[in-house]
Amino acid sequence: METEDACQAWKEEYQLKFPVLPDSDGTLFRAFTNGWVPWSVLIGPEGRVIFSENEFDESGFSAAIRRMYQRPTAKGLTRPRAVESAGRTVVLGGGTGGLVAACELRRRVGAGHRVVLVDRCAEHTFQPSLLWQMVGQRCPQQFRRPLNRLEKWGIEFRNAEVEQVDLDNKVVRTASGDLTYDSLIVSLGAQLAPGTVPGFEQMTYNLYDLGGCAQIHAALEDLREGTIGVLITAMPYRCPAAPYEAAFLAEAFVREKGIRRNVEIHLFTPEHAPMPVAPPAVGDSIADTLAARGIRYHPLFTFTELRPETREVVASDGRSHSVDLLIGIPPHQAPDVVRSSELLGVSGFIHVDPRTLQSDHDDVFAIGDVATIKLPNGKALPKAGVFAHSEAKVVAQQIADKADGKTSHAAFEGKGYCWIELGDGRAGFAGGDFYADPDPPAQDETTRAAAALGQGRL
Amino acid sequence: MKVIDGLKGIEPGKLVSVAELGLPVSGRNGLLLVFWKAT
Repeated sequence: METEDACQAWKEEYQLKFPVLPDSDGTLFRAFTNGWVPWSVLIGPEGRVIFSENEFDESGFSAAIRRMYQRPTAKGLTRPRAVESAGRTVVLGGGTGGLVAACELRRRVGAGHRVVLVDRCAEHTFQPSLLWQMVGQRCPQQFRRPLNRLEKWGIEFRNAEVEQVDLDNKVVRTASGDLTYDSLIVSLGAQLAPGTVPGFEQMTYNLYDLGGCAQIHAALEDLREGTIGVLITAMPYRCPAAPYEAAFLAEAFVREKGIRRNVEIHLFTPEHAPMPVAPPAVGDSIADTLAARGIRYHPLFTFTELRPETREVVASDGRSHSVDLLIGIPPHQAPDVVRSSELLGVSGFIHVDPRTLQSDHDDVFAIGDVATIKLPNGKALPKAGVFAHSEAKVVAQQIADKADGKTSHAAFEGKGYCWIELGDGRAGFAGGDFYADPDPPAQDETTRAAAALGQGRL
Repeated sequence: MKVIDGLKGIEPGKLVSVAELGLPVSGRNGLLLVFWKAT
C-alpha cells in the first residue's frame, strides 16, 4: 500500500497542485474501482457519479466536466463554442481518426449541423492495447467502448456496414439505409487480408486482431522452449513500431518466465531497417536494442511462402526458418468499399492533399490508414494512429470553417511521434517532422530518446 | 495494471456522499478521484 511519503514524492515529481493521498487500507479503491489502475471517477456537485472508467481519456474527461457545469436555460443547454450552422457530415469508421473527427467537429459546429458516424462494429477498439493484451496486461473490456456512447455527445451512431459511396449524388449506402452528406470523412482504416496468404490462418497468430492476441498470450503461457517468430508479410502495414514492440514484449515475457535460454526469437521484415521512414537514428537504436536482447533480426526478408507442414517461413531468396510460435502481420489493403469506388488511388489507398487531407472529390476527406500521403522524400507517410488523430482535427476545423462561411487555414503539418514499448515496463520515444525535405529530421526528444532506447526511459 | 481481482467498480448514476468519504477536500463543484499506483 502507498505511504504518505511515497504520495508526497510522486506529487512533487509531477508537480501536481491537487491533493495526493494514500488509500492506506484500500477502502476507497475497493469501493470505487474494479481492481485496475489507473481508474478515474468523476462525481458531480449533487454527488452523482458521472464517469467511472479505467485508463485516462482526456477528451472524455473534458466533455464530462463541461457537461457537469452546463446549466439548462430557458432555451435549453448552452453551447458557448459552437457556431450555428446547418448541414450534415458523415464520418465513415469509428477508429482513432473517425472518433476524433466526429468529436472535434461536434465541438465546433452548431446543433443544426448533424454529425453521423458509421461503423460495422458496435464498439471502438483501442488498437495500441492489443500489444498489452498479447502479454496478458490488458483484457478487451479495458480497451473497448460502445460507440453508441457518442449519442450522449450529440453524435449520431449507425452500426452498419458501408456498402457503397455514391460520390456523384453525395450518398453513403449502408446496410441499414442511405445517408446523404454535405461533407464526408472517410476513416475506414486499412483492411487486414490474412486470407491472401496461404497457410496464414493455419500456422500464424494475427498480431492485429483481438482474437489473435488472445491466442498469442495463451501460446506464450504454454511455451516451454522453441522458436518465436514475428513476421511482417508485406508493406505497408499500420503502426511501424508494432512488430518490434511485439518482439520486445515476447522476449521480456519469456525471460520473466525463466525460459529465455530455451527460446530463440526472430523478426522477419522486408524493410531494410526498423521504421525506415523515421529518422535513421531511431532505426539504428531499435536494431541495437534487438541485438542487445538477443532477438535475431532478418531485414530484407521478402516473404513468399508459409509451409505449415514444416512450420517454415520462406523468403524469395530461398532463406527459410522453422518457427514454433509465429506472430504475423498480415497484408493490409484498402477496405472493399473503397477498392470498388472511384476513391481508390494508384497506391491502393485514397490519395489526399498532404495539407488539407482533401481527396480528389469535392467535400470528401480521407484520414488515417485508408489515406496515402506522399512525402517530399518520395516515401509514403507511415500509417499510425498519431497521424490519424492530427489529421482528424484538421479536417474537423476545415469543415467547421466552411460551415461558418470562412476560408480555412487549418493544415496538417506532418509531425508525429510514437512511444515504442520495450517490455519490462519501459518505453522509448521517437518523433519527427515527416514533411521535412529531403528527410525527416529528428526532434530533440527523438535524438535523446534514440540514444536512450537501450535504457528504455519513459 | 490489475491490483485486485473480483471488484466491479462503481457505476455512473450512483449517488455518493462526498462528505462521508473522509477526504480533506471542500467545495461544491464536484470531485474527481484518480486512483494511481505511485510505486
